[in-house]
Amino acid sequence: MTPQPAHNIIISPIGDVTPDLLDPIRGEIKRIYGYPTEVLALLDDIEFAFHPNRNQYHSTPVLEQLARNAPADAIKVLAIVEVDLFIPILTHVYGEAQLGGKACIVSTVRLNEGHSYLNTQEPFLSRIVKEAIHELGHTFKLRHCREHTCLMHYCRDESDVDRKSDQLCRYCRVLLEDEIKRMQKL
Amino acid sequence: MSKIKILIVDDELIMRESLAGWLERDGHAVQTAASGEEALEKVKESQFDIFLVDIKMEGMSGLDVLRSVKESDPDADVVMITAYGSIPSAIEAMKDGAYDYMLKPFDPNELGVLIEKIIQHQEQARENIYLKEQYKERTRFESMIGQSAPMQKIFNLICDVAPMDSTVLITGETGTGKGLAAKAIHTNSSHRNGPFVTVNCGAIPEHLMETELFGHQKGAFTDAKETKKGRLELAHGGTLFLDEIGEISMRMQIDLLRVLEDRVFYRVGGTQPIEADFRVIAATNRNLEQAIKAGAFREDLFYRLNVISFQMPSLIQHKEDIPLLAEHFLYRFAQEMNKVADKISREAMDEMMLYDWPGNIRELENAIERAVVVGKQREILPEDLPIFCHEPTALKRGNSLKEVEKAHILQVLTDNKWNIARCAKILGIDRSTLYSKIKRYNINKVA
Repeated sequence: MTPQPAHNIIISPIGDVTPDLLDPIRGEIKRIYGYPTEVLALLDDIEFAFHPNRNQYHSTPVLEQLARNAPADAIKVLAIVEVDLFIPILTHVYGEAQLGGKACIVSTVRLNEGHSYLNTQEPFLSRIVKEAIHELGHTFKLRHCREHTCLMHYCRDESDVDRKSDQLCRYCRVLLEDEIKRMQKL
Repeated sequence: MSKIKILIVDDELIMRESLAGWLERDGHAVQTAASGEEALEKVKESQFDIFLVDIKMEGMSGLDVLRSVKESDPDADVVMITAYGSIPSAIEAMKDGAYDYMLKPFDPNELGVLIEKIIQHQEQARENIYLKEQYKERTRFESMIGQSAPMQKIFNLICDVAPMDSTVLITGETGTGKGLAAKAIHTNSSHRNGPFVTVNCGAIPEHLMETELFGHQKGAFTDAKETKKGRLELAHGGTLFLDEIGEISMRMQIDLLRVLEDRVFYRVGGTQPIEADFRVIAATNRNLEQAIKAGAFREDLFYRLNVISFQMPSLIQHKEDIPLLAEHFLYRFAQEMNKVADKISREAMDEMMLYDWPGNIRELENAIERAVVVGKQREILPEDLPIFCHEPTALKRGNSLKEVEKAHILQVLTDNKWNIARCAKILGIDRSTLYSKIKRYNINKVA
């Protein structure tokens, strides 16, 4: 995979996300997707997505705002938040992504046993990194994978996340390569 | 495997979209409807495996949607979406045939578990329906046997053909194992986890063929009291084996051609297209090219079926397999009948090697079965084999075929104390055919 270097994947931290977390995510994005990353705060806060009755943040409008704010040369945007996310029909989500779109978001809360502070100790760090790579995979049109060890496997709980590896399975790798080739032709 | 089709029915846009987005990431084909009325319109246009229906909606309620969906497709699984205040309605829905209900917002874990449970339940239900049908027909699927070069060639061919999704046409004389070859292709193909559904085109009367193949919708005709799935639908995700395709009527040839071309079909009386997600294997003992010339078989259907074709060798072409086949059948029938018979005498084997076996492997199978039934010793002797123990009168030159048949049926009936089921099996015909032949030839039980 040799993506065009002019295109970056933007990592947009929202809140107090430290380099302890950002650096491993940047490394993994480069390793898995082959694109360079740039850390750029695209949103000051996401209070516009807050629902007081649920005490959670609706992730879908955040994605829409992120996609709108993204620079033209950014191919994808990954936001990292330390608040609890939801979509209306579900009680919570680890993250959300625009399937084949530009933006995705991952929350550290549920991967950190419900705590809203950032924990960069293991196994929490690995969990957040894996789910960030997973959500970004959806923006490259990858869907959930049946292979339990694949990064694109849908995890029901933290133990599932711990069980999956830090690699895409052979099948998802091929699909990712196809998508990157398609994007490069555009 | 094909995608699971899900229809979400909810009058709140945000609920429809968030649920659709979530399920699409799981690789499902999701459609949405903003009202019960819109849902029923979509049901007319296409078939869905799972419905997620909000109970409380403006206009047509979720319960009404549930009843209409179950009316047109009793096997559809409907999950009701409800809020805490509507639990009594959800319980009512369960009584009306809903698969389950979910309180919104759902825990994402529960949603995933439920969808997986429904998919497994549907796969199992399809397999169960077919297994019941298969049991009724007493269809036998044995692995193929043969060390000879012609059979080894067939095995290699099956290995090459199986992984492709192309339609296969198997030709060969009656009793050469075309059905076993079809099953071997299925079990070595990517459809192996789906059902293997056989349609014996020669055995199903023409007036029943349409509903047997395509199923029917409740009310499609006077006797259609329930919606019934046809063999095509039961073959979903697996292999459809059209045995004796040369016997199919012109009308059904046209219908089948349409299915193979469009890859969709409709139940009799149905308006909803059903995706034809199966591999087709056809078999015949007829020369279809001659049948085309005679105007009895459609050329376009032949080319659709004849994508890959091979011919099963007659038993005389691989005689060296007779000992292996005979011993295999001996072992099987001795076990089935709980008899001590484990050897074929050298004389009996010599006779079998000299015989031409016009009925091929099936005739050999029936001969060994009969020998196990009538044999008095541990070893099969020449006189136990039906090919050498006909009454001389029945084999006299100059006798008509009917006379030979009558004498043979009488002999088998006498040997087996008029046990109709056993005799039918030995003769290789079904019980009703045997009864009609007994009546036609006026064969009487002699006290």
